[in-house]
Amino acid sequence: MTRVVDVPSHFDDRSFEQFANACGNFTGDRLLFDAHATQWASPFGLVSLLAAGQWAAEHGPERPLLTAPSDRDVAHYWARAGFFTHAADWFELHGKVPRVAATHSSDVLLEITPVRGSDDVHTVVESIQERSAAILAELGLEATAAMGFAMALSEACQNIVEHAGTSGWVAVQTYHWRRRLGRRVVVIGVADAGVGFRRSLEATQADRFGDRWSDASALEAALFHGASRFRDPGRGQGLGGIARYVNRWSGKLAVRSGTARIAIVPQWDDDQPLTDGLATFPGSQVLMIVPAQEAK
Amino acid sequence: MQHIDVKAILERTVSMTYGDLVTRPTGKAVRGGIEAALQETDGEQVAVIDFGTVRLLDYSCADEVVGKLLLEHGRARYFLLQGVTASHCEAIEPVLERHGLAAVARDREGRVRVLGHVPAGAREALSFLTVGSEEWHDPHLPEETAHEVLEFLRRQRGTAAAEPVPPPAAE
Repeated sequence: MTRVVDVPSHFDDRSFEQFANACGNFTGDRLLFDAHATQWASPFGLVSLLAAGQWAAEHGPERPLLTAPSDRDVAHYWARAGFFTHAADWFELHGKVPRVAATHSSDVLLEITPVRGSDDVHTVVESIQERSAAILAELGLEATAAMGFAMALSEACQNIVEHAGTSGWVAVQTYHWRRRLGRRVVVIGVADAGVGFRRSLEATQADRFGDRWSDASALEAALFHGASRFRDPGRGQGLGGIARYVNRWSGKLAVRSGTARIAIVPQWDDDQPLTDGLATFPGSQVLMIVPAQEAK
Repeated sequence: MQHIDVKAILERTVSMTYGDLVTRPTGKAVRGGIEAALQETDGEQVAVIDFGTVRLLDYSCADEVVGKLLLEHGRARYFLLQGVTASHCEAIEPVLERHGLAAVARDREGRVRVLGHVPAGAREALSFLTVGSEEWHDPHLPEETAHEVLEFLRRQRGTAAAEPVPPPAAE
């Protein structure tokens, strides 16, 4: 049996739950991810789709299918962002897949980049710093903020290397959110199909929480209490560092893992700080949004 | 003083192509390089850990390079963090706070500041010690605070006192 999973027409963090619900528990049937009607996808959407494909390929009966967006411009954008290059490893691709290489465009600060080990983190940081002038200009940030951005990105990627138990992806793009915010933003999406926060932290943290131990409490422990799966007291500072960075620059951080999602919500957003009881989705997905600073 | 160039150690121990101090494995390798350099001199010299040509330092690497280095050797050696930028300090400060450590850092303009876990009175006293003589002012610390500061400095090896500082005499 093949089960169809519709990819939302606008696929980002806000439509992600619709996608996670459609994925179900991933098991049993071969999955067909249908993106033919997708009109737009954020970095978060694209890296999450890759994570879903990896999980389905590794745990399902057969490699999942993926139909490419039928809109030529959308498909070309996905190709330029590097999506199909990575998708070919996990999906059986159908539809018209443009034969264009991933290229740098002005609004793509980082094409979809695999994160498998520390070397990849160095590559991501080098690449983003080469484009730091663009980030500064886009967001009206001072140089320290661009450095902080690279630090936050480095820690988000290391989270995959240290805790996922598998590889993941990262992508960074700028947008002009005219209606939602009236400013430019940088959006970072990081996703993996690994073990997730609850399993990663279970050995060191579960006893402290007792019956309260869950995906939500694992996220809380990691983000607000610097919990780590390592007993080394220096560990577990990365997410806290990202949180400090987004707080300082009125940004947003959301981390989803398992059936829960935790967020640091800035004044300009109306997201929930903590949501539990969501559809199960493998691994961890991190969203960071840094808005342009308002002119003083 | 022993001068240790962190970027040179990064190039020697990890890669010639990396310009940034990011990731734990990188930090661990660099700390190993620094420890090897420390063994070349006696423990009485101040070890100047120079970040002057390092572009980016993230939290994980700061924990490996600075946090663990001071935890391991901070009682036996004197350290100065040299050439640090504001963004380096953003990574180093929470690491030191988390470990209950403090360190003296000098930025690329020569300004000195104390990073990490330092009581307010001690921070004030250290600022007093590090500003130029023309800017000196009496910090007006109450006697009890001054005693706490001296005791803190002794614990941190900030003074040469080997014995606990006696408390102020009751009047």
